[in-house]
Amino acid sequence: MIQFDQVTKTYPKRNGLNVVLDAVDVTFPSGVGVGILGKNGAGKSTLLRLIAGVEHPDSGRIVREGTVSWPIGFSGGFAGSLTGEENCRFVARIYGADVDEVVGFAMDFAELGEYFEMPVKTYSSGMRARLAFGLSMALDFDAYLVDEVTAVGDSAFKAKCKAAFAQRSGRSSIIIVSHDPGTIRSYCTQCAVLKDGKLVYFDSVDAAEKEYQA
Amino acid sequence: MRALFITWQVIYAVLLRETKTRYGQSQLGYVWALIEPTLWVGTFAGMYWFLGRQGPSGMPMFEFLVSGIVPFALFIESVSRSATAIGANQGLLYYPHVRPLDLVVARVLLEYATKVVVFALLMIAAACLQGTPLRADQPLKVFLGLVLASGLGMGLGLILCGLGLFFSVVERLQSTLLRPLFWLSGLFYSIDELPSAAQKVLLLNPLLHVIEIVRSGWFVTHESRLVTIWYPLLWTTILLFFGLTFERVARRRLHHL
Repeated sequence: MIQFDQVTKTYPKRNGLNVVLDAVDVTFPSGVGVGILGKNGAGKSTLLRLIAGVEHPDSGRIVREGTVSWPIGFSGGFAGSLTGEENCRFVARIYGADVDEVVGFAMDFAELGEYFEMPVKTYSSGMRARLAFGLSMALDFDAYLVDEVTAVGDSAFKAKCKAAFAQRSGRSSIIIVSHDPGTIRSYCTQCAVLKDGKLVYFDSVDAAEKEYQA
Repeated sequence: MRALFITWQVIYAVLLRETKTRYGQSQLGYVWALIEPTLWVGTFAGMYWFLGRQGPSGMPMFEFLVSGIVPFALFIESVSRSATAIGANQGLLYYPHVRPLDLVVARVLLEYATKVVVFALLMIAAACLQGTPLRADQPLKVFLGLVLASGLGMGLGLILCGLGLFFSVVERLQSTLLRPLFWLSGLFYSIDELPSAAQKVLLLNPLLHVIEIVRSGWFVTHESRLVTIWYPLLWTTILLFFGLTFERVARRRLHHL
């Protein structure tokens, strides 16, 4: 369970402040897939970073029960000069996981072939995303935070991700941010809409989509 | 306890990763770490030999140069490696476990360990060249001196890193500002052989104390009465205090960049 208590987050802009979250109260339940819909620039990625704890709110409190992943799907955490395998080793180490197990799992999942042993800077963006996904699936989190899955891989790989998440549902929760209701529908049963600094929670994706399109 | 363990886990992982990104890229690998200080020592040894100079107070020339140049290099490298640690690894901050300070500490530890090895290897080489037996008077004091050199460097590096976020000119000025220290830190002289007017001014420089501490730890014949451990320790504490405060301020700004 992840709970927001009066969380406010702003960014300075040229004149004044950009309010991303305005005194938001929300609770993300455990073991459920929750989507967060928002237009480009609404602050979805910032929200995900706040949940992950890599960014801190200006005011208010975020309470996390259980382990939370880093924001998955983007690949900024990889060192370009190191190989995919070396990057996996690094992440396994910081999470105190069994290094060989994580590397083995990520290698199977990402299907990068011999690229797995080549520097990450030689990867295409799709390959990076596959590595990021494989790596996060190799680690056990209570909540997986996913940024824009639409950008990741072909349909076969998407099916694989979906299966991996389905296997974890009930045990782990998934929080996915996207601008596309279709993406969210395929992973989540509940959904929130982020708009003008407010986060409104809905028990169904349909209800959220109605609000989002309005 | 658990938090401390996680911090250590992260620092260790970053340290291994830094070792690979820094030394794993070229065929020469770790040998690179030796090349620069060796060149410095070689150049100055050549000049000393040409001028017919000896090390002061019975210190053999090669060992004298190594005992000044390696701690100085450790300081300078600690400054620049800490100042750039966060910027170069910002991507890692997307893992919630990794805090900016971990990146700095990992780099400084790697630098320290590297320079301890370099110090030992160059001293072995110096002993062979001079035909003198290899022995350290008080090894602990040598290690402590090197700790102070990297501590001073880390504190200053953190401050420069924080300032650099607000003023871009800091990065360009950094090496210019530090250059005079090369002549003011007792690399090529011992504080005891100078006139007292010069001593008074130069003793304000904490790095000079550090180098003299390393020397009194290494040489049986040399023990400077003018330097203390407390003075550079005080500087290290003050610099680290401001550096860590800056790091906290900088952390809030990091994501806006």
